[in-house]
Amino acid sequence: MNTVPTQEAGMNTLPTQEAGMNTVPTIHVADPVIQVRNLGKVYGSFTRDSILQTGPEFGTARDPRTGSIIAAWNVNFDVAAGEALGIVGESGSGKSTVLRCIAGDQPATTGDVRLACHDNGEFNILHLDPATRRRLRIDKLSVVYQDAAEGLALGVTAGGNIADPLTAAGWRHFGRIRERAADLLRRTEVPLDRMDDIVRTFSGGMRQRVQIARALANNPPILLLDEPTTGLDASVAAGVLDLIRRLLEELDLAVVVVSHDFAVIEMLTQRCIVMQHGRVVEDALTDQLLEDPQHPYSQKLVAAARA
Amino acid sequence: MTNESAIDMSSLAEITGDAPTTPFALLDEESKREIRRALLQAVAIPGYQVPFGSREMPVARGWGSGGLQISLAIVGNDDTVKVIDQGDDEGVNAVNLRRLIASSTGINETTEVNEATIVQSRHRIPEDPMGADQILVLQVPVPEPLRGVERDMKELARMHAEADYSKMWVSLYEDKVRNGVITQTTGYPCLVAGRYVTATTPIPRWDIPRLHQADFLTLFGAGREKRVYAIPPHTDVEPLTFDDVEFEVESADGATCKLCGSSDSFLVESPGTTPSWTCSDTAWCRRRRQA
Amino acid sequence: MGYAAARGGLTAIKRAEELVARLRDNHSSAQLELDQITGRLRLLVDRIMGEAGLWAPEFAALAVRQAEGDAIEAIHLLRAYKSTLPRFAVARVNDADEMVPERRVVPAFREPGGPQILGRSTDYTARMLDPKARDAMPRRAVSTAHDDDESASKRTADTIARPAGWPEMRRMSDVLRDMGLLVDRRRGDDPEPFDITRMPAKPPAPRSARLSTMARAETGALVNQWYRNILGPDGYLHEVTLGEVRHGSLSLSVTHPITGGEVTIGNFRVTEVEAIEDLDGIDEDRGSFDVGYGMCLGHNERKAIAMANLDIACHRDGSKSPLEQSILMTTDGLDSAGFLEHLKLPHYVTFRSMIERKVAVRRAHDERKRD
Repeated sequence: MNTVPTQEAGMNTLPTQEAGMNTVPTIHVADPVIQVRNLGKVYGSFTRDSILQTGPEFGTARDPRTGSIIAAWNVNFDVAAGEALGIVGESGSGKSTVLRCIAGDQPATTGDVRLACHDNGEFNILHLDPATRRRLRIDKLSVVYQDAAEGLALGVTAGGNIADPLTAAGWRHFGRIRERAADLLRRTEVPLDRMDDIVRTFSGGMRQRVQIARALANNPPILLLDEPTTGLDASVAAGVLDLIRRLLEELDLAVVVVSHDFAVIEMLTQRCIVMQHGRVVEDALTDQLLEDPQHPYSQKLVAAARA
Repeated sequence: MTNESAIDMSSLAEITGDAPTTPFALLDEESKREIRRALLQAVAIPGYQVPFGSREMPVARGWGSGGLQISLAIVGNDDTVKVIDQGDDEGVNAVNLRRLIASSTGINETTEVNEATIVQSRHRIPEDPMGADQILVLQVPVPEPLRGVERDMKELARMHAEADYSKMWVSLYEDKVRNGVITQTTGYPCLVAGRYVTATTPIPRWDIPRLHQADFLTLFGAGREKRVYAIPPHTDVEPLTFDDVEFEVESADGATCKLCGSSDSFLVESPGTTPSWTCSDTAWCRRRRQA
Repeated sequence: MGYAAARGGLTAIKRAEELVARLRDNHSSAQLELDQITGRLRLLVDRIMGEAGLWAPEFAALAVRQAEGDAIEAIHLLRAYKSTLPRFAVARVNDADEMVPERRVVPAFREPGGPQILGRSTDYTARMLDPKARDAMPRRAVSTAHDDDESASKRTADTIARPAGWPEMRRMSDVLRDMGLLVDRRRGDDPEPFDITRMPAKPPAPRSARLSTMARAETGALVNQWYRNILGPDGYLHEVTLGEVRHGSLSLSVTHPITGGEVTIGNFRVTEVEAIEDLDGIDEDRGSFDVGYGMCLGHNERKAIAMANLDIACHRDGSKSPLEQSILMTTDGLDSAGFLEHLKLPHYVTFRSMIERKVAVRRAHDERKRD
């Protein structure tokens, strides 16, 4: 009961797709930039029973015996360049956990994640050493968080926040760093006269724009967005969403958008997966999901969003 | 006398003799050997902070105990030592450390750089050039150059291990943006041998260029923080600055030393109704006057 | 007398030394004898030996007298003296269960196995200043029973042992383990303890490094670490239940370099504490307790209790919070006091560099305004 399987052991002995679980068919795409297989994250110690007795059928992600949380299990998806995939669900469904495990903010318990931009996807990045994983964040994979304090240093200026990934990538020319930062702020519609103000003085919407500018600093092929407009006033959120949509159209990025808000999913994504109690319950084209949700939970969510 | 202390006294007296004598250079031989091993590692990895078993010295932590341990670990009978504080051989702390080294070893003391084999210093590098047969020992209060941008020691270890210095660069960027200049004063962070960002004690920026491709070995000792590090001879020492922002050393427009007339040495100011300037390196100043 | 830019620095230093020695040694009162210090200022001497990490009552008393009662200064004298001594041997592993106790308190049970011994303690003494004792501490009647207790722990070079018929005193962690209520953290690989005098500890550090750091830590610093974690802005501690507070004597033995046999070379007193922690974290076994441990040289319960609390807090924290770094890096009395006082040293080179940058910032500011 106190055994925590290692990543490798977990792969072999714990229930996955192969073990005949109820799984949702995954939509595979040609030349995926991001490929996620059997991703799982558990908080606390767990056993085979913890997996088998949690999830949507049991109405909980919490193992009643150990108190452990099966935050995500058996998550699969692909994302191609120029494509945005949504992960939708209520809070606690595990959608942000999945994003954080891919980003490297949290260690995954098990799974296989490959990025085309890292060694042509030949290696599972979950097995990379932490230093190599962190380096992916400089110019391969960027994240925009709901809480700007996670993505930005609030005591640093807007320009300085962009200088961070630039200097990490080797930029050493003050003038060129300034130019690049100004260019990115212009594209994300941050007034340039605020470039040298510390981010803490910025409004919520403006902070998200700075986060996006920073995320794009080194032209990464992958962008992960975690509730990018949640908590903003509706009109501000609409502006930020519109910005993101236009940037996605211009840039050939592979994008994952985590949101509880169908308006966000509808506006930004072509495909999406629905998560409940740590499991994927539906994987569909976004249009189809909104028009004809299959899983009862998806139906409930869509109905609530349409109400 | 209690039974308790009598027993302790007798056993200690057996070890130490009635009047305990201190060993050559204060530290026991094993301790000196340990410190030398750490120094060899420091020389082998320029700029890397090597942890060592810092001993308690007769001077307090923060008062040059690290530099003192290095000097005592490397000193031999043939050495001649010069000790300066703020560039001054007669500064109280310089005097105190010099008499400790001299009295515990019996070696010669000097105020002349060219006569010294070991120069121990706080906050300065002598104005006079030092040669390949000399060692500069710098006392270090804070060996961690990144502490201003990061406090967590695990994170600091990670940043050094991965050569992840972007936080430092951001702080330089912010400094330049806010202040128009880089305001770092002494102890300017330098990239040593292209690898480790290193704290240059708090020597003034004036002294930094003399660490670059120097003929002499510089050993840094931080006794309180229990780290030593080194800049071997002929090593690149580049102050961190942007390609298009010049590294600036201290200057004072039109100031000259009131004693020797120098305008090309590090000058310190004596404030007052008529402020005046003197060389911080007193031995250098005296020789210029005699010349 | 010029001090700072200090021409004639040596003369100034020597005169200061003379002044200190003369005013101290020539005081009109009677000379303070070392046995008075060890005998009548027992707790001060114990504290100094603990923080110095050196059991040497006579030398500690010498240091107290030389330092005019300044504890940090006395600890400095002792530790600097230790730096000049070679290391002859490493002590053999000592079993704390062999302690001959002078005092034992078990708050966790009303009737623990074995006796509770209030012993030499002012815990329940009204703190009333005694003006009658102003001229002379009165001689007290001798209690033979207590003298017997004391004789059990007389510091002799013989192996000390509990007197025959001494009741067994099972420690509370053993009792809880028998009840199946204790997380078992004992390990079988018997690693060498981390020697903080040989290698500085830094986070994440093994438990032995944390414990030996705390054993030498300044008492006040450790108490403050504990209290700021209870009431400060960033707390990481529970209040625990104390399983054991013990004070008593242990013997010290080494391996004889030639015969290879065990030789007892002396005895010393320690304070030992077990802190029982209720586990309620998500990754923890909620059906069990865990135990924090504290031990320091001499009689210093305050310190050992803080240590046991911080030990278990650190373990539970798993070095996620800044707690471990605070304990390892900020509790040594000589480190903190030395660095604080170094601010008195001349800093005019660094200050000159600061003034120069202030001028540079102003110039840059003026130039920007002109542009």
